[in-house]
Amino acid sequence: MATTIVNPLREGLRLARTPEPSTIVIFGGSGDLTQRKLMPALYNLALQRLLPGSFSIVGSARQPLTDDQYRAELHDAVGEHSRTKPLNEEVWKTFAEHLFFVPTPDDHGYDALRERLDHLDVELGTNANRLFYLATPPGSYAAIVKAIGVHGLRGRTGWARIVVEKPFGRDRQSARELTETIHQVFREDEVFRIDHYLGKETVQNILVMRFANGIFEPIWNRQYVDHVQITAAETIGVEERAGYYEQAGAMRDIVQNHLLQLLALVAMEPPAAFDDKAVRDEKVKVLRALRAIRAEDLPDHAVRGQYTHGFIEGVAVPGYREEPGIAKDSRTETYVALKGFVDNWRWEGTPFYMRTGKRLPKRTTEIAIQFRVAPHQLFSREASAGLDPNALVLRIQPDEGVSLKFGAKVPVQGIRIRSVNMDFDYGASFMVDAPDAYETLILDALRGDATLFTRRDEVDQQWAFVDPIIAAWAASPEPPYFYEAGSWGPPEADALIEQDGREWRKA
Amino acid sequence: MAQSVIGDVDTAFWGARAASVAELERELARLRRAQSAHAREQGRTIARASVLNLIVYADRELHARRAAESISQLALRHPSRAIVVLADRRAPEGVDAAIEMHCHLPSSDGARLVSYEQILLRARGDSDERLASAVIPLLVPDLPVFVWWTGNPPTSGRLFGQVLALADRLIVDSADFARPQATLPELAELCERAHGRFGVTDLNWTRLTPWRECVTLFFDVPAWRPFLSGVTGVRVGYAVDMDGRDSNPSQALLFLGWLASRLGWRPHEAIAPHEAGGLLFAIERSDARRIMLRARPRFERGLDDGDVSGIRIQAEHDGQLGEFVVKRQPDPRHQTETVIVDGRVRWERTIPMPSPAIVELIGEELAILGSDRTYEDSLQTLVRLA
Ligand SMILES: NC(=O)c1ccc[n+]([C@@H]2O[C@H](COP(=O)([O-])OP(=O)(O)OC[C@H]3O[C@@H](n4cnc5c(N)ncnc54)[C@H](OP(=O)(O)O)[C@@H]3O)[C@@H](O)[C@H]2O)c1
Repeated sequence: MATTIVNPLREGLRLARTPEPSTIVIFGGSGDLTQRKLMPALYNLALQRLLPGSFSIVGSARQPLTDDQYRAELHDAVGEHSRTKPLNEEVWKTFAEHLFFVPTPDDHGYDALRERLDHLDVELGTNANRLFYLATPPGSYAAIVKAIGVHGLRGRTGWARIVVEKPFGRDRQSARELTETIHQVFREDEVFRIDHYLGKETVQNILVMRFANGIFEPIWNRQYVDHVQITAAETIGVEERAGYYEQAGAMRDIVQNHLLQLLALVAMEPPAAFDDKAVRDEKVKVLRALRAIRAEDLPDHAVRGQYTHGFIEGVAVPGYREEPGIAKDSRTETYVALKGFVDNWRWEGTPFYMRTGKRLPKRTTEIAIQFRVAPHQLFSREASAGLDPNALVLRIQPDEGVSLKFGAKVPVQGIRIRSVNMDFDYGASFMVDAPDAYETLILDALRGDATLFTRRDEVDQQWAFVDPIIAAWAASPEPPYFYEAGSWGPPEADALIEQDGREWRKA
Repeated sequence: MAQSVIGDVDTAFWGARAASVAELERELARLRRAQSAHAREQGRTIARASVLNLIVYADRELHARRAAESISQLALRHPSRAIVVLADRRAPEGVDAAIEMHCHLPSSDGARLVSYEQILLRARGDSDERLASAVIPLLVPDLPVFVWWTGNPPTSGRLFGQVLALADRLIVDSADFARPQATLPELAELCERAHGRFGVTDLNWTRLTPWRECVTLFFDVPAWRPFLSGVTGVRVGYAVDMDGRDSNPSQALLFLGWLASRLGWRPHEAIAPHEAGGLLFAIERSDARRIMLRARPRFERGLDDGDVSGIRIQAEHDGQLGEFVVKRQPDPRHQTETVIVDGRVRWERTIPMPSPAIVELIGEELAILGSDRTYEDSLQTLVRLA
């Protein structure tokens, strides 16, 4: 096969692993996600010289569009949504020459798509390497995957991979069914399930922090860690996604995927290598060890809330039930607080508190490791009055970085101790614009590196954890607790952590 | 007075003069405290970070200053202590040899880190034998030492040898070599002698990175890869000023050296410059077929002397004629790659070129520790070629 002859010029090249020549096929190529995220990401990869030596993009959807119409539409969308502005017209010009649209309203459409792909392979000298991207509403995933199989869209040579957007199923059963459908056409190692949190630089930095530095690992366990808090707070409300959100709620939208992934990354054992198998093997072990919350334990371990009207940054905002498209008596949760335990040697008895919500006062995502107080208080009570336990905070967004809180002596006046925050700011320290998560993820998928994508057993465990909670809430006659927009959630969520003698961090 | 003969350095830029290493360190500590106090007013604490030592050698204050400005811009990416050695060899006779020290902590407002410490060692008179003794105590222990030697590296000089003994990596810029034909072979010899003790690199090599990328990407494409064994000719254009004087072909030659070393080509003969100007080489491909490589000077607006302006590779495979072209088009800040097979354009793409600023080039080199085998191979091959 042609690809097995190595390119002798590659050796010693500083450009890190550019993907092989290939074509990306986006189903839902005219949708919102494509316009706001995928195409700006691809264009920015082109600007950074990270796309392969031969590359094309084929968008598809049911509506009829010509290549020219499609290019014009995306020109404007990319101009608006790209993180780098203004649009570089010179680069766009040749980028757009390799951008195509094929309508797939029916079987003929899929045949036309295959012909277009075959033609591009010959013309561009690629080896029929194809990355399919499912960016349609989830209801169409199964039908499209089947069409890929039936119409032979996988090339005869080269590799084929498929990226699947979230949500992946709406419970364990439907996720399993979707995986089975996909497996009729793609092997598991060809499936790339997106969790865009994993594409964020700082999330990857959790692993680097933990495993590239010798000093953290010895204290990263129940003996030194009192508890862990994971917070994902949004200020926005339900926005235009009412239809989807009513059916999903915070549990499916954030907890099932993003929060449990963050939990897995902080709690996992060191992987033997930084590769997709080793990393995901370790993550799935954590998810398996995550103690299921039984119905009778629910009140002490899980709190759901829904926002009422209030103020965000000084502006009055409506309550959830008053939002357009939301039922007046909706019981969908917009806030979740959880207490979880990882039942393994390292973490036995250490609580992991997690919370997420919409219309909270501040947009922030962070993981805080709260250490135990020093075993013996050497200094007098008065001297150490200003001292908090050590905390290591990994800030995911905004202001990505790390801070460590430790005690230091206040100068001169005898021994008086105060807590000091030592901050490390990624943005300020490396002064580079962090790439968008989608840039990282698309590039990884093109290279075939699945480390930052979720594997079927992870998804399965994630649903296994949240399904019973969702079911118990659905069965309960009680509505969610209410909280005012602009507050940190319902008082019951404070009670959840305070009953253990702890409190939520001032995030 | 000796002082006025050489002229004083600008203390607003280089900081106050210190009488000894100890005094200099005290002054740096004082400056750090002043910054912390300022930060604390804004409720922040400040930490000192450094990941490397950088010794800069320059023989004019202007060059020293430009180098220092570049490094300070890199402070956040490569927190460092920079020791700038300014040795004015044109100092008149009779000046007592002496070394003068200055230090300064430039920092951008709102920085949370002291990430750049700048020290100037200013040598008067013939100070070669005493300079190293002033540099050594100033190095932050246990961190790698980069040496950035501006201008011509005097490869057999005493000071150069002493400074190199401290180095993990030497950075030079062949674009500044007065006689590249003489200095490049010396550099190649230095690499051989270094034998892994320290790495050597050339900013002209860094400038080639985007060109090597584009050419490599062509042959990642399965259908074009076989053309690589059937190359029939290579042309590299490089910029010269309007009247074609002062031409420095180092960068173009390094590219040819790279291609030849990667593809196992053997130098055959260097053919004297012909009327079109530039250099012409005959080489033997690994299958013993003889082909021509050419480096051609061209006048092009907006380019620095010696910068590569375009590359054309001609090749055959299976009865087809392939041309693989990268040019600075539509302007010097972009590259356009074109693949033409049997006269028909099969691929064309325009991408931005990375910034050519020295600060970016230095930044790229500071990220690499140890030697760059590919560079050293290219340099050795080029020396045998020319
Ligand atoms: N938008 C976001 O910010 C965001 C964020 C995270 C995840 N997601 C996920 O990304 C996916 C797409 O979201 P979106 O907001 O982009 O939706 P959207 O704006 O409604 O776009 C859907 C796209 O899919 C096409 N489509 C629908 N059914 C199709 C079918 N059977 N075959 C081919 N194309 C079909 C639509 O065009 P036609 O109607 O012409 O076929 C349209 O191009 C969803 O799964 C969503 O959960 C979106």
